[in-house]
Amino acid sequence: MGLREYVIRRLLQLVVTFWAFFTLLFVLFRLVPGDPTSMFILDGMTPEQREQRIAELGLDQPLHVQYVEYISQLLTGDFGQSFIYREPVIDIIIVRFMNTIVLMGTALFFAYLIGLTFGALMGWWRGSKFERGGIVVTLAARSSPEFWVGIVLLSVFVFWLGWFPSGGMRTTGGELGGGFLARYGSTDFLRHLFLPALTGAIVFMATPTLLMRNTMLDVLNADFIEIKKAEGLPERTVLYRHAARNSVLPIVTVMAIATGAAMGGSVVIETVFNWPGMGREMVRAVNSNDYPVAMAAFFLMGSVVIIMNFLADLAYVYLDPRVEYE
Amino acid sequence: MAFRKKNRREFIRAAGATGLAIGVAGCSSNGDGNGNGVSGAEELGEQIRELNFVVPTSGVNQFRNELANMVAANWREIGIDVDFEELDFSAHVDKAVVQQDFDASLLGWGGTPERIDPHTFIYDMHHSDNMGEGGRNTPGYSNPEYDELAELQVTQPDEEERQQTVYEAQEIIARDQPRAYIANEGGIHPYASGRITGIEPTLGEGLNSFWNMISVEPLEGDTVTMGYPSEIISLNPMQDLATPDRQFVRLIYDQLFRIGTDGLPTPWAAADEPEIEDGGRTYTVEIRDGMTFHDGEDLTIDDVEFTYNLYADSPTYGSLVDVIGEIETSGNEITFHLEEEYAPFVANVLGQVYLFPEHIWGDVEPEELSDFEDENWVGSGPFMFEDWERQSELQLRAFDDHFNPPNTERFIRIPGSDVAQQFGALESGSIDFIGAIPQPTALARIDEDDDLDGADFEDIGYVKIAYNMRREPFDNVNFRRALSYCVPKTEYVDFVRDGMGTVTHSTISEHNEFWHNPDVEEFDEDLDAARAELEEGGFGWDDDGALHFGADQ
Repeated sequence: MGLREYVIRRLLQLVVTFWAFFTLLFVLFRLVPGDPTSMFILDGMTPEQREQRIAELGLDQPLHVQYVEYISQLLTGDFGQSFIYREPVIDIIIVRFMNTIVLMGTALFFAYLIGLTFGALMGWWRGSKFERGGIVVTLAARSSPEFWVGIVLLSVFVFWLGWFPSGGMRTTGGELGGGFLARYGSTDFLRHLFLPALTGAIVFMATPTLLMRNTMLDVLNADFIEIKKAEGLPERTVLYRHAARNSVLPIVTVMAIATGAAMGGSVVIETVFNWPGMGREMVRAVNSNDYPVAMAAFFLMGSVVIIMNFLADLAYVYLDPRVEYE
Repeated sequence: MAFRKKNRREFIRAAGATGLAIGVAGCSSNGDGNGNGVSGAEELGEQIRELNFVVPTSGVNQFRNELANMVAANWREIGIDVDFEELDFSAHVDKAVVQQDFDASLLGWGGTPERIDPHTFIYDMHHSDNMGEGGRNTPGYSNPEYDELAELQVTQPDEEERQQTVYEAQEIIARDQPRAYIANEGGIHPYASGRITGIEPTLGEGLNSFWNMISVEPLEGDTVTMGYPSEIISLNPMQDLATPDRQFVRLIYDQLFRIGTDGLPTPWAAADEPEIEDGGRTYTVEIRDGMTFHDGEDLTIDDVEFTYNLYADSPTYGSLVDVIGEIETSGNEITFHLEEEYAPFVANVLGQVYLFPEHIWGDVEPEELSDFEDENWVGSGPFMFEDWERQSELQLRAFDDHFNPPNTERFIRIPGSDVAQQFGALESGSIDFIGAIPQPTALARIDEDDDLDGADFEDIGYVKIAYNMRREPFDNVNFRRALSYCVPKTEYVDFVRDGMGTVTHSTISEHNEFWHNPDVEEFDEDLDAARAELEEGGFGWDDDGALHFGADQ
């Protein structure tokens, strides 16, 4: 099978995966008790107001009618309107999604940059104090809950040293909105980004470090490394160009999945640092039965996972010519 | 979890800290199976089925979750099996208020300012008209004698007479116990005394009160920043709004009257008290001179008339002004002719309706009202809308042309998803006060920090347990009264809530002084009294201590 057929087949599989995914989402949300009016009832919504709102939202229709309507709406690229905010879902989601991408992207970038380097060195210097110490540090990071890491960083850098702000994305009272650069380009933003990104980096770092070390150990036992060493190549060249590059393959898969999961935003990191991202929005939407926003949020997050997996499959082919299209 | 809580409770008891008659609880059963010599019915019928008790998860409300565990332990103690069902807020409301599919449900009922007038607590919550799906009479309480009083108080413009009716209504409710009325959950809202001054916490709202937001003042700079653990939904007064939304909408939009710090409606955009004629069926209000909207346009009597017509057309809020028959204006005066007497008219209608600029809302179709986006949210209130990014911040600016401008030039609201995070922001200086009760550990930190303080406030809303009277055995008044004797109200306020709040026995809080009847029957935790009630109701116990109907019931 050629590359083209392979890609087409994988794309078709993608469509089926997507369909199954949002059908499942649709059913799950409808099964949860409560509806979008529940949160207003104790604040004084009368039974008549409630019935009227349910009818307005079409929630009095049979489930299959709602389903068909939702799917046809989705096919036109429309996520609908938030049941609670009464604004287009896309307007609500897009800003949060960007905020999350910037935060998690930074965290993942540093997690993988440090993780890969550190893991490769640990594998290279097997048996050394560096490796033993490294494993302890990595396992400690891996076992620390996100909220705990966040709170420790807050205690040290905010409450004790006073170097960073305690939360949010910018100093309050300034101008809101603005373009990409205005939002994410200022030093004020970077100061707010530092601690939540560091928390994410610490938490995400362990997986690539350990995985890189393990695959490095396998690769280092391979004959070609001995040959490269025998060729008299400098140690650095053997380490980076030959050993590390050949160890990076499994990391690609893990990175794809981790990226997907991270894009959903870490509810915990976003809560501890009051980051206005997807995770918090998702929790709000689920708690208030705001189905369209919740579905769109899960949909985006799931899509990143699905697409990243697809890209990982393609990347395999590029990185390792021995992988065949099946 | 339940096991741990029970142990803690036993520890409190052992320490003798409650001072209640609790020695009997926990004793092993003797021959009669209930532990105190009360024998109950001689011939037993069917065993009382397991009761479904719907309660909030500890994530939703840790105080109430603990209370529910304590109550369930006492119910078990008097021989009743309890199916303890912990639910998230929206699932709980759906099950208990909308579906009414529960035996007993522990929920709160908020004490917003318009509920200081007793109408909501007397009529909405207990009249048999309101026991349908989603209605506020969740227990399904239906008592013609009571209904008559609840209807009578609406028609009594004379406050003394109305007070007497409201007193009688409270006595009947206390006797019948459709709910166990447990505690008014006042509390503490933390603020930075080192950075702001002029705070004014009010009944039921603490630092979220309107009066606080216009009186609070920064010691340095021109901005006060508040934190609240959730985002507001909209600033559109015509949308379905929750309490946190209204707390901001009313800063931007004025009403003719506002509920004052004393709980009574005070003239606001109205120049003076209303002139009431025709036996309480005609209200005439004169509006203040010289009011303008934030965009500089004058607020005229036509805008006021337009507003009341707009409400009448609104699918969402039409019912609020149902009672108004005709409206007339003359000069600076507006006259409302009511369809029938409605004693809470000033507090519940004139005090609730926000004044809209006709030049902005005039062309909006009724069905579009709740979706209408006025980008600048032009009202006439003491604060003007400046900017808003959801989940980040909402910025307001003082409207200096207002007749009662606020003491801070800028007011910023930061939403969070966690009160502990916000408390950290308060400590680190990025917010100045929080409109929510912080986590228990924060109270000690307030004491230690010279820059922080706590604003105490009391509440008129309460936590209660509703009994579903549509079902057996809750249709039996002795059974309900017995269950109410099992609620450790004092222990809840003193220990679980660390002294925040007050025990209540009536649907009207003691902090609502004029309307509260101090002489209603009281139900303090007393398991002996509970057993005596059950015996009087004809119930009995088997040898294992399980509660049964009597054979002749």
